[in-house]
Amino acid sequence: MSETATDTDPHAKAERFLRAAQREGKAELTVYLGAAPGVGKTYRMLQEAARKRADGRDVVVGVAETHGRGETAALLEPLEVLPRRTVEHEGHTLDEFDIDGALERRPNLILVDELAHTNAPGSRHPKRWQDVAELLAAGIDVATTVNIQHIESLNDVVAGFTHVRVRETVPDSILEDAELIVVDLPPEALIERLEAGKVYLPETAGRALSNFFVPTRLAALRELALRFAARNVDRRLIEDLRISGDTERFAAGERLMVAVSAGEGGAQVIRQAKRLADMLHAPWTAVVVESGSGRTAKGAQREQLAENLALASSLGASLLTIAADRVGPALVQQAKELKATQIVIGKSRRSRWFEWWHGSVAKEVIRDAAGVSVHVVPLEAADLKPERVGDPHPYRDPILALLMVGVTVGLIQAAQQWISASAVDLLLLLPVILAASLLRMSGAIWSAVWAALAFNFFFTEPVHTLTIDTPADVITFVILGAVAAVIGWLAARVRRQAETSAGIARLNASLARFAGLMGTVSDDRETARVACREIAGLLDVLAIVVNVEDDEIRVLSHGETEHALDMVDAAAARRCLETGEATGRDTGTLNASDWQFHPLKTALGTMGALGIARPDGGRVVRPDDAILLASLVDQTALAHERLILEKQARDVDVLSERDRMRGALLGSLAHDLKTPLTAVIAASDAIPAEGPHAEEVMIARSEARRLSRFMGDLLEASRIESGSLEPAMETVDLVDLVNAAIDALRSRDPSGRIAFAAEDDCPLVKADPVLTRHILINLIDNALKYSPGDAPVEIDLECHEDKVWLTVADHGEGLPEDADRLFERFQRIEGSDRAGGSGLGLWIVKNFAEIQGFAIAAKNHSGGAAFELSWPQDNIVRSQEG
Amino acid sequence: MKILVVDDELAIRRLLKGALERGGYETIEAQDAREALHRSKAGCDLCLLDLGLPDRDGLELIPLLTQNGVPTIVLTARDATSEKVAALDLGADDFVTKPFDSEELLARIRGALRRCGASQSASGKRHFSDGTIDELTRDVVIRGSNVSLTPKEFDLLWKLSEHPGRALTHRVLLGTVWGEAHLDDLDYLRVAVRSLRKKIEENPSTPKVVVNEPGVGYRLTARA
Repeated sequence: MSETATDTDPHAKAERFLRAAQREGKAELTVYLGAAPGVGKTYRMLQEAARKRADGRDVVVGVAETHGRGETAALLEPLEVLPRRTVEHEGHTLDEFDIDGALERRPNLILVDELAHTNAPGSRHPKRWQDVAELLAAGIDVATTVNIQHIESLNDVVAGFTHVRVRETVPDSILEDAELIVVDLPPEALIERLEAGKVYLPETAGRALSNFFVPTRLAALRELALRFAARNVDRRLIEDLRISGDTERFAAGERLMVAVSAGEGGAQVIRQAKRLADMLHAPWTAVVVESGSGRTAKGAQREQLAENLALASSLGASLLTIAADRVGPALVQQAKELKATQIVIGKSRRSRWFEWWHGSVAKEVIRDAAGVSVHVVPLEAADLKPERVGDPHPYRDPILALLMVGVTVGLIQAAQQWISASAVDLLLLLPVILAASLLRMSGAIWSAVWAALAFNFFFTEPVHTLTIDTPADVITFVILGAVAAVIGWLAARVRRQAETSAGIARLNASLARFAGLMGTVSDDRETARVACREIAGLLDVLAIVVNVEDDEIRVLSHGETEHALDMVDAAAARRCLETGEATGRDTGTLNASDWQFHPLKTALGTMGALGIARPDGGRVVRPDDAILLASLVDQTALAHERLILEKQARDVDVLSERDRMRGALLGSLAHDLKTPLTAVIAASDAIPAEGPHAEEVMIARSEARRLSRFMGDLLEASRIESGSLEPAMETVDLVDLVNAAIDALRSRDPSGRIAFAAEDDCPLVKADPVLTRHILINLIDNALKYSPGDAPVEIDLECHEDKVWLTVADHGEGLPEDADRLFERFQRIEGSDRAGGSGLGLWIVKNFAEIQGFAIAAKNHSGGAAFELSWPQDNIVRSQEG
Repeated sequence: MKILVVDDELAIRRLLKGALERGGYETIEAQDAREALHRSKAGCDLCLLDLGLPDRDGLELIPLLTQNGVPTIVLTARDATSEKVAALDLGADDFVTKPFDSEELLARIRGALRRCGASQSASGKRHFSDGTIDELTRDVVIRGSNVSLTPKEFDLLWKLSEHPGRALTHRVLLGTVWGEAHLDDLDYLRVAVRSLRKKIEENPSTPKVVVNEPGVGYRLTARA
């Protein structure tokens, strides 16, 4: 259904790459955008230019207007300024930007102030923005400045509230791919600057331009500039997302509303809306207006309306019914409430006369929905023509109306001597009002007819004929008829609206009650049971909740009675759960089933399916119930989702609490053990390793130190696991860290087996010195352990172009096949347990490396195992000072 | 020589006492900050200070002790670099990481006492492990031969030679040699140390004269 480009579409993919390539190769335009003259665009541009120049970019000033401001001129001082081209024009000498000079100089970045400037006659391009476009095309980055009122698309807007029309405009297209930097200054500050004479205004435009410098106007201009820049950013973001093909995730803030009517046409409108919603990735709402007028759908039409709503719901729309007298204004109001940005509405082709009489909803919406895009889907006329449904009692209303009028006439006759003749016509309005409030519209109209005729027959001269003698009576007759008709029509309409509202109120009340019940349940089964019971009651159906358990469809809950599902039912239920669409009876899928299944969809997936059936085998969902059912299904799904989320939250709480406890325990244990351990180590050191117990003393010393290392490992591991480890990155010389590590291991390497070779002038790197030293101590210590006898441990620091790497190599037996597993927790090299370690060492090393952003790899070299640390380019420091 | 041992753990105090006495020092003990201040006034030549004290942060004691002319050596955990830096910046003479090696501890104490007793002349000629540096003639002699240094290298070596054997933090070195504006420009210092090492070390990849304390600073090896 979606028309958006997907990765499977090779064309879309190709186009994306092409666009990316185009943007990639293009020179960059940076625009300093201001709300008014004097906000400091040029100053800011020059500041940035100086910074870029310090970053080593080749920056040249093409044009910069200092307007005699000292501070701005000072910024210009250190920059290279391109000489201007002088042009003779009508006896004046004009200084113009020298585009040829700029192209010849070919800087990396050129500053060209005042994008909207008009060049002197005889220049290559009439406008400066064309010069800029040429520079960009030549691959030169350009920085420029412009005020918001010079932007073409905003020219009218600005002229509208400032009453100044600027003639020099810049087309929006040139700003499309530009990076906009808003140079913002609050209106008060700007006016202050103006009053201090710091704002330069050209002589010619002096008075007109000062029209800008009113706080309210400046505020408006400022808002305009900020909004323009924001839109630009939005657009570039969307473009980037398109280029990356990552359109699923972006939300541009669009909301779509579709007006649903009965008939085939209604379905067409809904599909169109769905397509549009997909394209915009916008949430959408299908709205039905229940109006009190005679144009409300009836009978078969109502059923079609229900079907359309079901269609909208199955396509992912939220449903909404509103009661209102007039459809058009109601839709506009609803669009406002939904904050819809797009409205889709159907419009049938009908005669002008019909439209003039009935009005056109589409036209009303288009006229009144300000700021909202309205999409009108053309429809065939037949679809929407109100269908008159056969009335089972066509004569009941006229006869009842006649009776009411008859009784009234009888009463008037009986009380004639107390009633003035002129009151008769008023009294005859009584049965009309009565009929309007008790009968349908037709009854009201009939009563008006009867009342008029009765007046004529009984109360005008000549009496008991349908002729009228006096012109005054003719007028009374006509007025009575008209008033009766209007009163009847109005009264009937009011009643109908009241009925509609009451219906909707009942619906809302049922929903509120249901939602309330769903909010109190505390487990899955309970939710399903309550949902079944309530839905069965509200819709007068049988209801079950099913889900897949052990690959079989299971009924989780019934209403009052138990139900068994046959093969077809189970297939329909399974299909519903798999596809997330309604299946079964009265749907397009597996409709041989007695049950109709609705998926309980949530953000977490499908929570199960609600099955409903009607015991008499009739239509499962009555047309009027479609919206109610959709809401009930939603509520049920939400209740399930809430339960799952609550459970997850509880589980996470328990887990994290347990983790915290463990961390705290480990921390305090390690701390408590440290002090006695320090004492043990110091004490064992103090015992001279001589005499008969020399061996034992040596063992005590080395084992105490080993224990201390274990404690250290455990502490580090708990720090890593708790996620509280934050590397303190600084510029380090790896030579220092390697030497510090070797120094720390001095006692373990009495014979000096460690050989360190460093290549000259390897760059400095960014690293956490403590963590990195820890890594090195671990690796070197490991290498010492695995190198037999007096075989050396070789440490090499090497660098090549943009890479720095450090290798710690031993001369042991080398690594087993699955060397990567070494970095897992509690892994030791097989058969080497005697070397003794916590099994955490390499895991800690790997985590310490990752947290600092460099890589560690284990491999075999010709004579043993080697661990290689390598620093990515980002971590390498290029120094600028000696 | 009297050494004040400040630690709240009795076992550690005992051990330190034992080690110090073997090294020929007399000890006095204090178990908290209050007692330490009190005892230090009674006179001692050096203080061994554990930073985790029950009544006060040990760091607060450092300036009080050093003002009274008592050089202080701090006992810290190995990875507590920020603690070491803070202690040095507050005037501590040196630090020893726990678990400590008694030989190393004694060596550090000897170094600190020597620095305290015979401070180098403020100007003129200074001596360190392998060489001498002369501020007036700007001569640097290493292992008998003259070395020519750039002004920054000279300033750096001059600052380091003020207290040979004592660690100076990165920020102190940067502030003295490059100025207050460059306190965090560690790159400058690293690059300068590297070029200095090339000129004065026998083997620049295993430096013995200018030694780094990772995350803390540099120290110049004293004359053996």
